[in-house]
Amino acid sequence: MQNVWVLASLWVGLALIATLLAIWFKISTALTEIVVGTVAQLIVSAYVSQGGLAAKTEWITFLAGTGAIVLTFLAGAELDPAVFRAKWKESTIVGLVGFFGPFLGCTAIAHYVLHWTTRSSWLAGVALSTTSVAVVYAVMLELGFNVTDFGKAILAACFVNDLGTVIALGLIFSPFTAKTVIFIVVSVGIFVVLPFLTPHFFRKYGGRVSEIEAKYLLFILFAMGGLAVWSGSEAVLPAYVIGMVLAGTVGKDHVLIRRLRTLTFGLLTPFYFIRAGSFVSVPSLAAAPMVFVALFFGKMSSKVIGLFPTVKAFKYQREEGLYFTLMMSTGLTFGTISALFGINHGIIDQAQYSHLVATVIGSAVIPTMIANAWFMPRHLLRKSVEEKPVAQPVTLSAERGNS
Amino acid sequence: MSGRRQHTYFRRILVAYDGSPQSEKAVELAFSLAECIDSSVLIFAVARPPEPATSVELGAVLDDAREHYEEGFKKILEKARPHNLDVKTDIAVGHPGEQIIHRAEVDGIDLIILGRRGRSMLSRMVLGSVSERVLRYAHCPVMVVH
Repeated sequence: MQNVWVLASLWVGLALIATLLAIWFKISTALTEIVVGTVAQLIVSAYVSQGGLAAKTEWITFLAGTGAIVLTFLAGAELDPAVFRAKWKESTIVGLVGFFGPFLGCTAIAHYVLHWTTRSSWLAGVALSTTSVAVVYAVMLELGFNVTDFGKAILAACFVNDLGTVIALGLIFSPFTAKTVIFIVVSVGIFVVLPFLTPHFFRKYGGRVSEIEAKYLLFILFAMGGLAVWSGSEAVLPAYVIGMVLAGTVGKDHVLIRRLRTLTFGLLTPFYFIRAGSFVSVPSLAAAPMVFVALFFGKMSSKVIGLFPTVKAFKYQREEGLYFTLMMSTGLTFGTISALFGINHGIIDQAQYSHLVATVIGSAVIPTMIANAWFMPRHLLRKSVEEKPVAQPVTLSAERGNS
Repeated sequence: MSGRRQHTYFRRILVAYDGSPQSEKAVELAFSLAECIDSSVLIFAVARPPEPATSVELGAVLDDAREHYEEGFKKILEKARPHNLDVKTDIAVGHPGEQIIHRAEVDGIDLIILGRRGRSMLSRMVLGSVSERVLRYAHCPVMVVH
């Protein structure tokens, strides 16, 4: 497909279909975009053009990559620094255990059970090590845990967990050279300076039609992404950390965050998620369904084995069931970013990529379904109210400032 | 006023609101009922997050829901003012059916009024019907407005 505008209309048309599906079925747009990308690639390559959706075209790669960077930045900016400061000890320990459990567990499963190469296995571990902050947060809002100490600690732990994933992705596959040292030193300097420089810059020049804030942030994200790639690392690593360090300043600027969301959802993330879906090979999935089963149960069991003693140590009791269910959910964003990194750098092949993405989707969807089955509607019925309500309805205005 | 309330069976009415014409109708019905029998009214909306949620999308959905419902609430409160009714509004997050049932129990609601959206068979099968769920599980009488 040579005509840029025809190709663009095809991709945006697919994004439109995915969004309609998400609206009709009340499911995440990211999920429908991945699925639509997979199905469209199958259909287009079979009936229209052998190249399918031409997902490796340079401008599509650029838009998709920008989508991943901005999405990661916004995810980092969702952190509530006050919550993290209040619960840093529990959150750090639980978050690190939540990361290392599936990271090591899934790596071991991939290597010793599925006989993947060492690098492929590490990548599987990274892709399945995340915990979806959003799934956890959504269910906590529903159950009213988001205002409890327990809920806050879990939420902050999820950010630590994802930070572990991003750092592992950014550093584990790159050779440690002088470039790595330069990247780390410059990054640390930028991370320290940005929280002071950015509000000052925005106060002086911001609030104009020219959207200087968006340009400033994109400049920083692209520049740091460029430095990361130059050093052999991954562009989303600095993006996530920049999001976190700016969470207390930029993250609180509701108008700016909304503008960035418009840019992200309207143009960038459809290219990212549809592209991620287009690399999935359905025949590979159908040929070896047990690979999915092994990875899925590897993820679930390693999360529980890692977290059970940790949670016990902090004397959490009643909410453990919920806690494990939620912490087992994989984030679609970081899961697919890791898998895409793997296929782009030749660490995994298309079949392995397909299995990883399927597992990422499965471990995002299935815990949500389990949570619904276990906690709905029984926890809301009279019995639980008489015993002592598990949840109190949540007022939106009481939620975090940036969400 | 309080004397009348002691004899009123439906002292607290919860109206499920989603901004649809049916829910507007439910609100109107609740107001006329509340005026007759001197009840308090809670206009209750539920923002439903997408599943499985992704963090940026979740934030956006909650923001949009808050704006959408707060705008609707403003209009409703304007309508209620001349009637001198005791009206409160609130927004929860989650599955609408469950949240309505739960809030009704926690607040000791005597009557739930909600509109029926008339979704397609497919939509009802996949998503379930909020009104059916509330009818099935609510602890108090439920009035469904067509």
